[in-house]
Amino acid sequence: METSSEGAGAHPEADSQRRYPVEFTAKTGEYFRIWIVNLALTILTLGIYSAWAKVRKKRYFYGHTRIDGEGFEYRANPVAILKGRIIAVGLFAIYSLTENFQPILHLALAFVLTVAIPWLIVRSLAFNAYNSAYRNIRFHFRGRYGEIIKTLFWYGLLTVLTLGLLYPYMKSRLARFIMGNHHYGETKFEVGNLARRYYGIYLKGLVLLVPTLIFMGIVIAMGMPLFKISKAGAVIFVVLVLYGSLLPLFAYGQSRINNLLWNSTTVGTLRFESRLRARDLMGLYFTNIIAIICTLALATPWAVVRTMRYRARKMTMVSTAALDNFIAAESAQVSATGEEIGEMFDIDIGW
Amino acid sequence: MVTEFDAIYYDGKTSARMAVHARTAGSVLLISGANVNLEVPFAEISVDAGISGVRRTLSLPGGAQLQTDDHAAVDTLFPHVNRLERGVHKLERYWGYAFGAVLVVTLFSWWGLTYGLPTTAKFVARVMPARIETLIGEQTLHAIDKSFCNPSALDAARQNRLRQDLAMVTAGLNDHYTYQLELRRCRGAGPNAFALPGGTIVMTDALAKLAENDQQITAVLAHEVGHVRHQHGLRLALQGAGGAALITALAGDAVSITGIAVMLPTLLLNTGYSREFETEADTYAFKRLKEIGSSPKYFAEILQRLEAAHAAEEQTANKDQHDKSGHSIAFDYLSTHPATAERIQRALAAQ
Repeated sequence: METSSEGAGAHPEADSQRRYPVEFTAKTGEYFRIWIVNLALTILTLGIYSAWAKVRKKRYFYGHTRIDGEGFEYRANPVAILKGRIIAVGLFAIYSLTENFQPILHLALAFVLTVAIPWLIVRSLAFNAYNSAYRNIRFHFRGRYGEIIKTLFWYGLLTVLTLGLLYPYMKSRLARFIMGNHHYGETKFEVGNLARRYYGIYLKGLVLLVPTLIFMGIVIAMGMPLFKISKAGAVIFVVLVLYGSLLPLFAYGQSRINNLLWNSTTVGTLRFESRLRARDLMGLYFTNIIAIICTLALATPWAVVRTMRYRARKMTMVSTAALDNFIAAESAQVSATGEEIGEMFDIDIGW
Repeated sequence: MVTEFDAIYYDGKTSARMAVHARTAGSVLLISGANVNLEVPFAEISVDAGISGVRRTLSLPGGAQLQTDDHAAVDTLFPHVNRLERGVHKLERYWGYAFGAVLVVTLFSWWGLTYGLPTTAKFVARVMPARIETLIGEQTLHAIDKSFCNPSALDAARQNRLRQDLAMVTAGLNDHYTYQLELRRCRGAGPNAFALPGGTIVMTDALAKLAENDQQITAVLAHEVGHVRHQHGLRLALQGAGGAALITALAGDAVSITGIAVMLPTLLLNTGYSREFETEADTYAFKRLKEIGSSPKYFAEILQRLEAAHAAEEQTANKDQHDKSGHSIAFDYLSTHPATAERIQRALAAQ
């Protein structure tokens, strides 16, 4: 599919551009069976299978996400994930148990874990990137600890001191850190300046919050007589109203941030077009929740697949050159930097 | 027998895609294409496990890769690898197994919610050191005082009398709890009493005023002592946490705002559990009242008075819609309790 209709001003090299829509070929029935078998085996093996379940699920979705006919690969070793989970569960158990027995040890642990958060984020991003590949070229994540420590702690502190004024800036730095330190083989993800437009999105979100709160207040006030009939029913009503009224805001933020991030990113000769719409996401999430509740969670795979399909459909990759020329990173360098250590902690961090 | 299949070859150094044809010759695989001509012994090839609709990957020495959609050929060539995941893949392919998995998950969830979780929570609560229980109780009382309760307005003599009632109910109980009565005026709680972990019982002034005599107070206190001895507060908290974890494991995948979505079913769950606990506490109260020479009939009496008060309050509230001073949901004496009429019946039958 060759197109040369792009605005010539924005992209001077428009003539040689090729557009690659992201295809998502997963099928609801297929994934349902994988999902339910994963759950059943996880139960029957007392949780041990959960690591394999995670890998099979990710391999299914990666493999069914295709660009130019080629799927992505997820290569993580389930045993590594299992080890990470055992360590995580162990740490969590120690952390919760010491809360009352050993307050000092608990505080020390809390401190260590807080300090370790940047390390954990970087390690998990590195683990996930390293185990993702496309056309037999691995991704890499090469974020520096210093940078994320500065973003989280220093700008976090400044955010508090400025009463939240710096929050969008901090978030934009974090997003840029995560996206911009990824590499496809040797080719770095380059991210443009996000801060100004982050402020735009957050500002509009804030403006949307006002009618949201008013709407919430009115509906809850109208539902007050419910409290006289059934307290449980009233609580369900309030939860639904909260969820329903915050959903547009959530969908707005998610779609705008996601679009902004992808549309500001280039990888060598590649750029991306993300066209998520808030109202689409809102509709998806709302129907997902209803379906999941009504089917006692059995509709979960359906919800997951349709949401991912929608996201893929709204994403296009544009390249000014053939996709054949990306170079793998030196593998020796990869193993030496110890990205395997990241396998100890398998934590998914989104943005 | 010669096995042949079409594949795509990636050398692992660049993203260049090469269409190749692979064919077996003895114990080696011959790979031939426009720029590729390789002879690779089977022993040096590793194969990934099959997943529905996802291309199979054959990893060759030196980081190169063959990708093919010909699952049958790969399975013929490598019949003995990935035994475990091959078996899993078989389960994932047929609806019959999927249905079996649905049964396993459903049975487990049902068993977990009705038996496993309550039993585990009961066990954990029992082995939990008394110190922790007391601490949790203290923290809860602190939170209650901070959010919606004020010190009692009853005079000292009346307060002493009520404390003596509790002393009478708990006299000679050979447990490690330190029972104490806390009197409060709580906004929106109405005539109410609740037990905190560790032995503290909170009673509202409204309830103290509603009771016509000490026997009726004693009946309420016996019920609350039942809650303390059965560790209902602690168990409810533990069960709630476990239930939330289970629901997250089932549906967390699909729901981005997991927190809110999990809240709803957890709430319903707790309502169900607390009904059971009320019955348990009632049963204890009937037994204890007879032990101290009183009678379950007073329990029936105070219940009747509570219900009458509740009905009256409802009427005034309906008359004057503006006079609803923020109803508390969690602690209303009647809402989470089994049908009052039924409880009165049980109390009278237990005499």
